[in-house]
Amino acid sequence: MTTIAPTPTAASATTAAGIELRGVVKRYGTQVAVRGLDLEISDGEFFCLLGPSGCGKTTTLNLIGGFVPLTEGEIWIRGKRVHDLPPHKRPVNTVFQSYALFPHMNVRENVRFGLKMDRVPAAESTSRVEEALALVGLDDFGDRMPAQLSGGQQQRVAVARALVKRPAVLLLDEPLGALDLKLRQRLQIELSQIHRDVGTTFVYVTHDQEEAMSMADRIAVMNDGRLEQLGTPEEVYRRPASRFVADFIGDSNFFAATVAAGVATLADGSQMPCRGGSGQASVMVRPEAIRLAGSSPSLSGRVVQTSFLGKHVRVAVATAASEAPVVIALHDPSTLPPVGATVALSWSAEDAAVLEPK
Amino acid sequence: MTVTAAAAPQRRRRIRLGHALSEYSGFAPAVVLLGLFFLVPLGIIVCYSFWETIDYSTVHHWTTGNYSYFFSVGAYVSTMWATVWVSVVATALAIALAFPFAYWLSRYVPKRLRTPLLVLVIVPFWSSYLLRVYSWLTILGEHGVLNRFLQWTGITNHPLGLFLYDRPAVILVLVYLYFPFGALTLYSSIERFDWNQLRAAMDLGASPLTAIFRILVPQIRPGIITAVIFVFIPVLGEYLTPQIVGGTGGVMIGNLIVNFFQSAEYTRGAAASLLIAAFIVLLLAVFRKSLSSRDAYGI
Repeated sequence: MTTIAPTPTAASATTAAGIELRGVVKRYGTQVAVRGLDLEISDGEFFCLLGPSGCGKTTTLNLIGGFVPLTEGEIWIRGKRVHDLPPHKRPVNTVFQSYALFPHMNVRENVRFGLKMDRVPAAESTSRVEEALALVGLDDFGDRMPAQLSGGQQQRVAVARALVKRPAVLLLDEPLGALDLKLRQRLQIELSQIHRDVGTTFVYVTHDQEEAMSMADRIAVMNDGRLEQLGTPEEVYRRPASRFVADFIGDSNFFAATVAAGVATLADGSQMPCRGGSGQASVMVRPEAIRLAGSSPSLSGRVVQTSFLGKHVRVAVATAASEAPVVIALHDPSTLPPVGATVALSWSAEDAAVLEPK
Repeated sequence: MTVTAAAAPQRRRRIRLGHALSEYSGFAPAVVLLGLFFLVPLGIIVCYSFWETIDYSTVHHWTTGNYSYFFSVGAYVSTMWATVWVSVVATALAIALAFPFAYWLSRYVPKRLRTPLLVLVIVPFWSSYLLRVYSWLTILGEHGVLNRFLQWTGITNHPLGLFLYDRPAVILVLVYLYFPFGALTLYSSIERFDWNQLRAAMDLGASPLTAIFRILVPQIRPGIITAVIFVFIPVLGEYLTPQIVGGTGGVMIGNLIVNFFQSAEYTRGAAASLLIAAFIVLLLAVFRKSLSSRDAYGI
């Protein structure tokens, strides 16, 4: 099998999605890893599966890659049913968490391996290997052995080895998990650039929300085998669909409240603006959305701690409306109140998401 | 004693020598053991192989006659070649069986079950070697399990003698006897393999078999060669198995050596023994480079 240009079949003509999961279920014995997942990933999208460990994101990736058989449902790639196909017959290649480079082959042989398996003619495969190495910035490393490379370089070889096959979909299983923070951030930028250059659909699994936010076009937040929310990084951050998403992505302040007509009555009786909803609820406000200078209505509290964190100052304010102190991120330290001061907190209605009660 | 300036360098050298000696003195027991139990006997055998036997006694008279005698008797030479091919086939079969077993054990068997299974592989060693070989007579013999089964099913109406007393029987029993050596050696080298590499190879388009032979096998080559050596060397020197289940048709060079020694032809026996040793040295020389994994990984 060479590169992939399947013609859409009649059944799938309506959907031009790069990848489509329909009612996908995966059970291991009595344990359910994925409970009925429906997903549509567009061609060329940088798509993130995000969630805590054990949420089913890696299983989902393995289902797409064909490494584990699915229990129920269907998987389509570019209009072709693939869930009955073995991994090597799917238009999918994978960058593994441990890279899984072949230690007995040099970098060039590693990258060429997939082309050899496809019986690509020597001349073409040589130029494609060099192209792939150039893409990941390893032009001069073809003769090195994997053991002679740094972690970041090994990771890039793994990317080149997968992309040289020109797959319809590139699966990445926490590819930066083993690297230190600085290198991770640099490789995040590089991966985004590579994605723009090749235009292949990337499906990226991570438990690191910052990583997902920094690279993905869309994020699927998963929990306990279910899709919690699907949206752009901004959507899942600003408009979390559930308490879980709000809690998992970014820092958040929760207030138990009774909501009616855009007004949340908090535990201490203060009435604060919020976005829609009614009845018993949790109101969630991001730390950077809370202002200290009091416009009314406001929530009164006492500063218990201020911490200088470089890019912002974190202020913890104890209020009667929440058990845990309210966390506020201030970007202008000149307005910093002293510890012990009484302050008035306020926010605008659109920054207060109404979620299910605890 | 007074030390003059001129004596200083000499003293220093002596100190250095003493230092070196004390550094290596830890090896002394090993050197003594190796010398007493390996080098000295080997030297004695080499000497014997170049001496002469006259009237059942060894004469210290240097000659290559023992070697030329061995090669002048057609039956000896053909037995030597038969020994080589029987050993090659038995080793190949033992490794061919041990590899899938080791693969299965290290890839699919949960860790807590591996030790019991490995113990089961070793259990036969708890019984005597002779017992293990003789037990095959009760399987392959004229009134053995195999013949009774064939008569019971009606495939034959009289006991067949063809299972015993020839090379196939010898090979079968040798494979049975040496399978554990191959299995344990291969297991210990496959056990450390990163199975993600096979997944990656399959992800890149390799079939499962291609993935095993292109990715796994090259990386455990030192283990495979060690297993081959562990099986091939003892098999080459076997004499009890061919004697018990091989009869006259399954004679190996080990039986010739036993015969030489039993008829007090020590010098000819020594020469035949050294011929086996030469084969093994040759084998080790061929595999010497492949035993090192360092080159392959560029470390």
